[in-house]
Amino acid sequence: MSNTDFEIKKPKVDLNYSSHLKPVHSDPNPEAKPLPKVTIDGKTYEFKPGDTIMQVAERYKIHEEIPRYCYHPGMPIAGTCRMCTVEVEKAPKLMTSCSTPAGDGMVVHTRSEKVMKSRTGVMEFLLTNHPLDCPVCDKAGECELQDYNFEYGPAKSNFKEEKRVYDNATTKKLSPLVTLNMNRCVHCERCVRFTDDITKTNDLVMVNRGWHKELEATTPEGLKNDYQGCLTDFCPVGALTWNDFRFQKRSWFLAKKPSICDKCSKGCNIEVHSDADVVYRYVPIHNEMVNGHWMCDTGRNSYQEYMNPLRVISHMMRQEDKMHSVSIEAVLASVNAQLKGTSSVQIVIGTDSTREEAALLKDKVPALIGKNVSVSYFNGTGVNTPADDKKLDNLLKMKDQTANSRGVEEQGLTPLTNGELTADVAVLFRNGRTGIPKMKADQKLVLWGVWSQSEIQSLPSKNILGVIAGLATIEKEGSYKNADGIVQKFHPAIIHRGGALSAHHVVGLWKSLT
Amino acid sequence: MFDLAMMMAKILVILGCTLGVVPFLVWFERRGAAWMQGRVGPNRVGPFGLLQSLADVLKFMFKETFVPAKANKFFYLMAPIIALIAPMCALSVIPFGSKVIVNGQEVFLQIAQMDTGVIFILAFAGLEVYPIILAGWSSRNKYSVLGALRGSSQIVSYEISMGLALLSMLIVFGSFNPYDMVAWQKETLFGFLPRWGAFVNPFGALVFWIATFAETNRLPFDLPEGESELVAGYHVEYGGMKFAAFFMAEYVAMIMASSLLVTLFFGGFNMFPGMGMLVDLVVNQFQFGAVGLQNTTAFFEFASFFTKVAFFMFVMIWIRWTLPRFRFDQLMDLGWKVLFPLSLINLVVVTIGVYYFNS
Amino acid sequence: MGTINISKKYTAKQKSYIPAILVGMKITMKRFIQGFFFRKHDTIMYPEVRRKYSDRFRGMHFISVDPAKTENCTACFLCETICPAQCIHIVADERDEDENPYGVKKEKKPVSFDIDALRCCFCGFCEEACPKDAIKLSGNYELAVSSREEAFYDLDHLKRPMNGRNEK
Repeated sequence: MSNTDFEIKKPKVDLNYSSHLKPVHSDPNPEAKPLPKVTIDGKTYEFKPGDTIMQVAERYKIHEEIPRYCYHPGMPIAGTCRMCTVEVEKAPKLMTSCSTPAGDGMVVHTRSEKVMKSRTGVMEFLLTNHPLDCPVCDKAGECELQDYNFEYGPAKSNFKEEKRVYDNATTKKLSPLVTLNMNRCVHCERCVRFTDDITKTNDLVMVNRGWHKELEATTPEGLKNDYQGCLTDFCPVGALTWNDFRFQKRSWFLAKKPSICDKCSKGCNIEVHSDADVVYRYVPIHNEMVNGHWMCDTGRNSYQEYMNPLRVISHMMRQEDKMHSVSIEAVLASVNAQLKGTSSVQIVIGTDSTREEAALLKDKVPALIGKNVSVSYFNGTGVNTPADDKKLDNLLKMKDQTANSRGVEEQGLTPLTNGELTADVAVLFRNGRTGIPKMKADQKLVLWGVWSQSEIQSLPSKNILGVIAGLATIEKEGSYKNADGIVQKFHPAIIHRGGALSAHHVVGLWKSLT
Repeated sequence: MFDLAMMMAKILVILGCTLGVVPFLVWFERRGAAWMQGRVGPNRVGPFGLLQSLADVLKFMFKETFVPAKANKFFYLMAPIIALIAPMCALSVIPFGSKVIVNGQEVFLQIAQMDTGVIFILAFAGLEVYPIILAGWSSRNKYSVLGALRGSSQIVSYEISMGLALLSMLIVFGSFNPYDMVAWQKETLFGFLPRWGAFVNPFGALVFWIATFAETNRLPFDLPEGESELVAGYHVEYGGMKFAAFFMAEYVAMIMASSLLVTLFFGGFNMFPGMGMLVDLVVNQFQFGAVGLQNTTAFFEFASFFTKVAFFMFVMIWIRWTLPRFRFDQLMDLGWKVLFPLSLINLVVVTIGVYYFNS
Repeated sequence: MGTINISKKYTAKQKSYIPAILVGMKITMKRFIQGFFFRKHDTIMYPEVRRKYSDRFRGMHFISVDPAKTENCTACFLCETICPAQCIHIVADERDEDENPYGVKKEKKPVSFDIDALRCCFCGFCEEACPKDAIKLSGNYELAVSSREEAFYDLDHLKRPMNGRNEK
């Protein structure tokens, strides 16, 4: 009887911090110096001089064979957790793969008996003090401690003593956004290195030593940086949890679809976590060209505007001095008639609309209205044109709070003069991110796209001809050109359950009316 | 005047006995069924659940009088009335005792003493098919129509065998008058066996007995109702007191059929062998005269009649909870291929026998 | 070829039905006498007399509580996850400090805990999955309700006083 009759397959750990490192190949020119080679688990890989063993593994996407807690491809190497140790032939001891530089001709075993025993030992030590509160822990289901314990951990612990419990540390608010549960911490110090080296705010520090080692904020106010959500992403256990997501949903219920954050012109790649088409959080996806591994807190919480119960998700029209929810055909017929009866029409495209929508509104809609139509774009978030855009910090945040300023300008449009509506009737198309242009108190308006009731009520003009509900970024298809000129295409991450329609759908219906 | 008063008294006694015994019969049917099936049965209302039937009647009375929208209202309402009246009329010619002497005058214990009594009974037994057809047809329901069709064909089929069996007994008795028939059965056969019709003409008795089951639509011949395939057959659309009338009619018909069976084949009101000694004992004990003797005899005659009828009704209930329902083709096979030839042969044999004995 | 002849030859005795009928009548009479004279019944007088069910019988759900009447449930969603009928609906939130007079702080609590008993298949998976022994299935089999709404067990109903699993 063989041992492979039943084998628990290694869980597919979606660590979401894949490396940007790519495989390298020696120059085929025979005179060039060949790249060094390292043998990992019987296969030989070429690498760039200076790589550590872990980085070589990442180059060839075999890094999931090596568990790690403290190592993170986006952060400096620390080598504190001892989880990533591998056996290197001719080395007397196990080597930490994250910090040991690979050498030419080195032979590495990542799953030898000695290595597995070491990992089991490390897991047992980590679990001595880790509380058994997975049922209430929000990290459960995506927890690296759980995953690695399932794979490498001991079946039972030799630890008979009482577990360490930090005083008053069960739930400690590090900031309004992040909660710390120190009992769960495995002291990998990723969070400390993140604030030291990535945000450079030095918010967090480990105080005391050994048994009493405890994470604390350096200032009484707690965390101050704008990337606190990333702490909760890469925390391998449930020590740091995101308050907004805390206790909302268990991670295994979440459907995960990629999309783009449209809260600023950076265009961070995100994963939309939803259940039953209700979004519970955004999580960044690694993209070295755009956002690396990170994402700002403003963008992380920007889904709330799309999940806002006040968002208008049905088409509305003014009937008997009140706004009423009516069918799209009724709104279009009314709007179409009134647009044709006026002297001048102005279409204002928000810079948060996709490139496709901008093209559609610029090319197709004026033809439908027929006469004297001017088309311009409007930003309204502190910048007028993409040229005004600038970095707010040394990481990701941008001044432009809309996603597609460059993409809209690229369509040959001009910004709205003085940010003020001039024509008889103005058609405002936006995606919920741009500001509101200045207007006269009796300006006739057609609102199109993502609007909320509060925004509509705060408009200077009450003369609204109709509201056409549009899809939000996470619900539609399209592409954005970000501040760096990178065009990114995205697909719907959730299905819109209200009455909102895509711009193409609305224009098609409008065309069938005329 | 005296005759009229006596007639009214007899009618009241018969009506009272018949209708008064129905709730008890229903209770007994339900509890008997429960006992035979290892259940407890209705035992909550009154002692031993005896008042259950009364509670049901109360419930029936307070139910909505419902007539289906497209029903023929006249026939729809007529059907349960006919169903109830026909078997009760037939009961009027059944003698349930010889005679009593009241106020110096003889009173026969029979509502109507007719020479054509058996024809009268046959006529009213034949009427029993009408409520089924009327109910089934007038309530405009496919199930009830199917039930009515089954019921009519079944009753017509079995009436022939029943009539032939009856005919054989008429030849034996040489009379149409039920009173004469009972008198004929008073003698003994071979010195020890009462000369009951069933001993003289056993096959006729069997055929007649089976046919009465079919006539009263009791299991295993309850195809007109056929709950499993026809919901409730011809009375699907009946509720409340109208349904109760059908329900009571079934039991009245049972009483009628049992009485007829007893009158024709089991000695009628004739006392059981040895009961005469009991009469003598009572008369001697209380020093009765001739009048007292006659009245005591009549009482014991009524008691034995009642006992016999009760026994056959118990057998009917017993059979009901023993046998499953026939399939329709089996029913027709039994009626036409078994009972009909059997009764015909029996008629011939009995005729020859009577001719032989009389000559 | 493909047909099987199942017709059977009956003897005259079998064809006459009479012996079979008599056997049947004997049986029913036996049962009648047993019921009438000896009160021997297979059924019971239900509301007064109740059958003893197995200790492992799974009936109406309940959530166990600690001495302070705080539910043991920590809203871990494991029962909702395992439930094959998807009849459990939980909304979780943080538990207030003053709700924890006993033992270790319970960090999370169910704000609402609804079981749709009409969908429930009483498989007992929730009971097995529960890490806190909070949700349990009692021995109560009297689940009839007079309206559909009553079959949605909310937290208050589930927290009703129970001393043990087999209590009604």
